[in-house]
Amino acid sequence: MANRCILQIALLLSFSTISLSLSYKLLQAQQRSSSLACGELLKQLKGKPEYCLKDRMDFKFPEEIKQPQHFRKENAALVIQEMLQNILDIVRKNFSNTVWNETIVENLLVELHQQMDSLKTLLQEILEKKDITWEDTMIIPRLKGYYWRIRRHMKAKDNSICAWTVVQVELSRNFSFINRLTDYFQD
Amino acid sequence: MGKGYSRKFLAQKMRCERKERTYQLTKMLLSRQTLAIRLLTLCFTVYVSLALDASHDIPESADENCDFKLAFRKYQLILSWELKNRSIVPTHSTFQYTIMSKKESMKTVENCTNITRSFCDLTNVWQDMHETYIPMVEEFRGETLLVQCLGSITALNLSFEPPDFGIIGFADHINVVVQFPPVAPTIYGEDLHDQASLIIKEHSEDIDKRHEPKISGSFSGNFSYVINNLIPNTNYCISVYFEPRSSRTITKPPLKCVLLQPAQESGSSKSVKIVIVIVIFVSVAISIILTLRQIGYVCLHTEFPKVLIFHNFVVRIFPELPLSEEVNILEVISINKKKKVWGYNYGDESDSEDEAPLRTIAGGYTMHGLPGRLHSQVRTSPASSQASHLGDPADEESKEPERETQPQPQPPAAQGPSPGQKEGTSEPSERTEGLPQDPCPKVDDGNSSGGSGDKMTFNVDLNSVFLRVLHDDEEDSEEAALVLPPPEEVVDLEEDPQEMESSLLVPGGEKLQVLFPNLPPECLWTGDDLSDKSDTSSSDVDDIRDGYIMR
Repeated sequence: MANRCILQIALLLSFSTISLSLSYKLLQAQQRSSSLACGELLKQLKGKPEYCLKDRMDFKFPEEIKQPQHFRKENAALVIQEMLQNILDIVRKNFSNTVWNETIVENLLVELHQQMDSLKTLLQEILEKKDITWEDTMIIPRLKGYYWRIRRHMKAKDNSICAWTVVQVELSRNFSFINRLTDYFQD
Repeated sequence: MGKGYSRKFLAQKMRCERKERTYQLTKMLLSRQTLAIRLLTLCFTVYVSLALDASHDIPESADENCDFKLAFRKYQLILSWELKNRSIVPTHSTFQYTIMSKKESMKTVENCTNITRSFCDLTNVWQDMHETYIPMVEEFRGETLLVQCLGSITALNLSFEPPDFGIIGFADHINVVVQFPPVAPTIYGEDLHDQASLIIKEHSEDIDKRHEPKISGSFSGNFSYVINNLIPNTNYCISVYFEPRSSRTITKPPLKCVLLQPAQESGSSKSVKIVIVIVIFVSVAISIILTLRQIGYVCLHTEFPKVLIFHNFVVRIFPELPLSEEVNILEVISINKKKKVWGYNYGDESDSEDEAPLRTIAGGYTMHGLPGRLHSQVRTSPASSQASHLGDPADEESKEPERETQPQPQPPAAQGPSPGQKEGTSEPSERTEGLPQDPCPKVDDGNSSGGSGDKMTFNVDLNSVFLRVLHDDEEDSEEAALVLPPPEEVVDLEEDPQEMESSLLVPGGEKLQVLFPNLPPECLWTGDDLSDKSDTSSSDVDDIRDGYIMR
């Protein structure tokens, strides 16, 4: 009887593991595709970084995200969600002040929404499992501080073209980080 | 009146002068406002223009002078540039770069300063793939700066040039060999394996198939990949390229094509494949069933029908071979008995049967038994039978008349139970089976029962025993030709069957020759033979001495 129970549990675990691994692979593919698309959309926007060298600023992106070492997929999902939310806020709130192509910006917003929706299911599972430690959540305030510096820079520069151009480059860099973070979904 | 006119005139003149002054003042003020507005407009224009181009400290046309291309070529990160204005022919160039994420000044690259080529190897220089690099190239003629080029490069601009590869076509597969450098290549300071995937694409007519081989470790040395299950005698084209993870820019290489050989697969290899597939299928099926049964999803009967009991399978297919026939030398003891011939007259017998009684009348004994009396004999007590067998011949003779009245038993084959013989068959059925054994005892291998001394008792399977009698005496040819009469005629049926048999079967060969030297060499008994020869032997062959017949 005990053997039967053990075998049933083992089978259930194996099946659930297979299905979860498949879902993570699908999520990884979606996130990678979306982040690449967002990067390309940002690149299409009118802006010449080479002419805005004086407006450059080090926004101090968190180093633990730049070079993650002991990241789990839960951490990655949490960080990606926070990054996408802040990018969406920056683009949406200051959209009227830009000189960017509206169509490109709208496509960028749509892509961001899709990317966040695909993460929602995974995030719900993570929150239900409460599989996040206090250390994991410490990344979020640092991320918020990073995006706060971006907003302050734009305000300081009165949403100038070069300020937007610098932000555009920084957001492209963000999507490159997100693309790297999706690698942790396959673990 | 003159004074009044002059006063009016002076008053009007003064008014005019005031108006004129007011007009002039107004005019002057308007002109000044216009000027101010113009100045303000100019200032606004300047302000706006300054606001738009405040940070442009580099000539705006600098980015339009060159085209930059970043490529991973021959496993090196190469930035190349090309002047748009081809009329400008510089003598040398200097490459510098900076990044966008920090306020850093332009950096020069040692190997890319005052170069005559139009590219720079940045494999070990640009180490951050997330960065936006700002390259700057200055083209000189002598000491004169001709052109300054600026650009912005990210990893999205990177194109991976395909690796060198070779293909070898076989009948149904193609071997693709990709040549990597001996040392694992890096890009942006990271392993190429982490930045891009190797893709092998197969083109056949209108079908494209993509293969993504999993390479453990890094891209180093030669890598071989086999594309299986191809159609023989078909043209296939192969392309190999890198698919970057941080870009959608793919540079596809020229195709390499090969016409596969016609199929020459041997039948043995096919059969081996089929056998392997069957074995794998059966093993998987059995394991699944066992697993499900172990879990309890499937409940199998433990009592299988006979057809599914495989431990008897071999026995059923290969039934037990009959044991080898044993040949035992037995001594047949013939008991010569003489029977007194009483003057019975069977008038209803045939003419041929009449001859024997005529011959035997002289001795007073007859060879004829009386068939049909066996039952009465059987019913006699064993004690009396034993006495008659072992006792004095005189007693034996005294009982002979009684036996004479008994009918002669039928041969064994004719002694099957019949309704008319119910009385006789009911009691000594064993005896009817044992009786034919007497003259030619047959040994049953499995049912022989032991005896003591020089006596052996056997239960004999009559279907499997042959009897051969050992004799060399040709003098008794007549007796040798004798076929023993049915034992019913010979033996006192009142005897115990075991004793009766034991009395006839005595181990050893001497007694046989002494007691029954003229036994025929072949003594295969059948019911017909018994019945036939009982008569013929008694009439023609039997040795009749003194009215007694030897049996």
